[in-house]
Amino acid sequence: MDQIRLFIELTKKALQRQMTYRAAIAAGVLTNLFFGLLRAAVLQALYVGRSEVAGITLPAAITYTGISQATIGIFAAFSWFAIIRSVYSGEVSSDLLKPMDYFTFWLAQDWGRSIIELLLRSLPIMLAYAVVFGITVPHTAVQWLALAAALWLGWLVSFAWRFLLNLSAFWTPNAIGVARFGFVLSWFMSGFLMPLRFFPDWFVQICYLTPFPHTVNTVVEIYLGLLSGPEILMALGGQALWAAVLIAAGQLVLQLGIRKLVIQGG
Amino acid sequence: MRYHLDLYIRLVGVQIRSQLQYRASFLMDSAATGIVTVLGFLTLALIFRRFNHISGWTLWEVAFLYGMVEAAFGTMDMFFSGFDPQNFGKQIRLGLFDQILLRPVNATVQVLASDFILRRLGRIIQGLIVLGLAFANQDVQWTLGKILYLPVIFVSLVMFFGGLFVIGATITFWTVESIEIINVFTYGGSEMMSYPMHIYQDWMRRFFTYVLPGIFIVYYPALFILGKPDPFHMPQFAYFLSPVAGFSVLLAASVFWQFGVRHYQSTGT
Repeated sequence: MDQIRLFIELTKKALQRQMTYRAAIAAGVLTNLFFGLLRAAVLQALYVGRSEVAGITLPAAITYTGISQATIGIFAAFSWFAIIRSVYSGEVSSDLLKPMDYFTFWLAQDWGRSIIELLLRSLPIMLAYAVVFGITVPHTAVQWLALAAALWLGWLVSFAWRFLLNLSAFWTPNAIGVARFGFVLSWFMSGFLMPLRFFPDWFVQICYLTPFPHTVNTVVEIYLGLLSGPEILMALGGQALWAAVLIAAGQLVLQLGIRKLVIQGG
Repeated sequence: MRYHLDLYIRLVGVQIRSQLQYRASFLMDSAATGIVTVLGFLTLALIFRRFNHISGWTLWEVAFLYGMVEAAFGTMDMFFSGFDPQNFGKQIRLGLFDQILLRPVNATVQVLASDFILRRLGRIIQGLIVLGLAFANQDVQWTLGKILYLPVIFVSLVMFFGGLFVIGATITFWTVESIEIINVFTYGGSEMMSYPMHIYQDWMRRFFTYVLPGIFIVYYPALFILGKPDPFHMPQFAYFLSPVAGFSVLLAASVFWQFGVRHYQSTGT
């Protein structure tokens, strides 16, 4: 019970903290929109003379560019080095002493962060897209429910992956470099640059050996209605499975890391 | 001038030596900073297997733009890192620029020499590889003029992107809040110029023609070198405006920068 109250308190604090970055978020929305426009122009030019490619119509492809930009904030897809910074500053020592599981401690805060990103970044991006391009939207209540589940599970996968990347700070003084590499890989394999369906099968298969497509690509496929009933369940199941695997790996690595950790003394 | 050049070389030399201290770490960082270039190009190549061309341009024609832009942006990012709006904005916020102004040396030289990132070589080399592949996989009707024009285009691109960094840094004299907007012009501009400009909506292209002359920097030279038709029917000399456009942007940026330095008010902390 106490744990739940703690969780909610941490989430609230993170909400408030993220709210103070309103100006930065507004700037982020404009940046995301500009890059979305560029991607939309590229896809439009690629589609010349075709109405549908790999089951994706041109309006759906344009909508895709909006979704991929709208998920950047929720999944913190470009960078998230909060734990690395806390390790290097030494704050980690007091965080580990807190009466709360270390993973849950950060999970609660990221939950708050991503709620603000959803409200202040993702929604305005999709609304602007709806006005400028006219987007497609999911047709059925089932699709909307599945979309909500996919977003939540995708966030969980992304967080568990970021947590794991950040733990590298327990071993190396150059953890930001290591983590950055992990983020770069995820751009190319998550379906963030282009819908994975456009790629050759062998490449998609390689991508699906990693957790990355279970963030952006799953959300995209469910939103655009590219998956039918049982396929939706399979997709959500894949997300849940990867979330579980990454969370377990995170716990294991954390245990190893704590044994290794030397706090920089002042 | 001579004095400033000596000082610049010395300051940059110190950084290069320190960055080379950890060889393995340096090599890994170099590879990692460039990996985006190679992976980005692979993505493009895979996409082209399905689409074949992008409004009349083949993969290798686009690769010319992509390789040029990547190598030039990497070069700019190596020399102009001191002006990187993200980092410079941080210095302004922390009041570190005050220290620079207090020293009896030209502020511009100090900022320029404050950050020289050798590991950008990774991005430059990988950009050049893509450029090499572009030439190897298509028949370019080479003339002496075209060969001589290549390095000019490269330097113009570096000046153009450098100008954008300087403008971005100058804006942080007044606001450090909405710094991410500047990314639209720097990173957005480089991404935009990696594709043929005729794919964009009219208003975007007009902005990058008449407000920020990006279209002349690499797209028009590419039409000339690759022998592609000009969809906008500009006069023929548009092919050769690259150095003029690149230099004007850098010049305008440095005028703006001087203005900013003169009107700089410290954060007061």
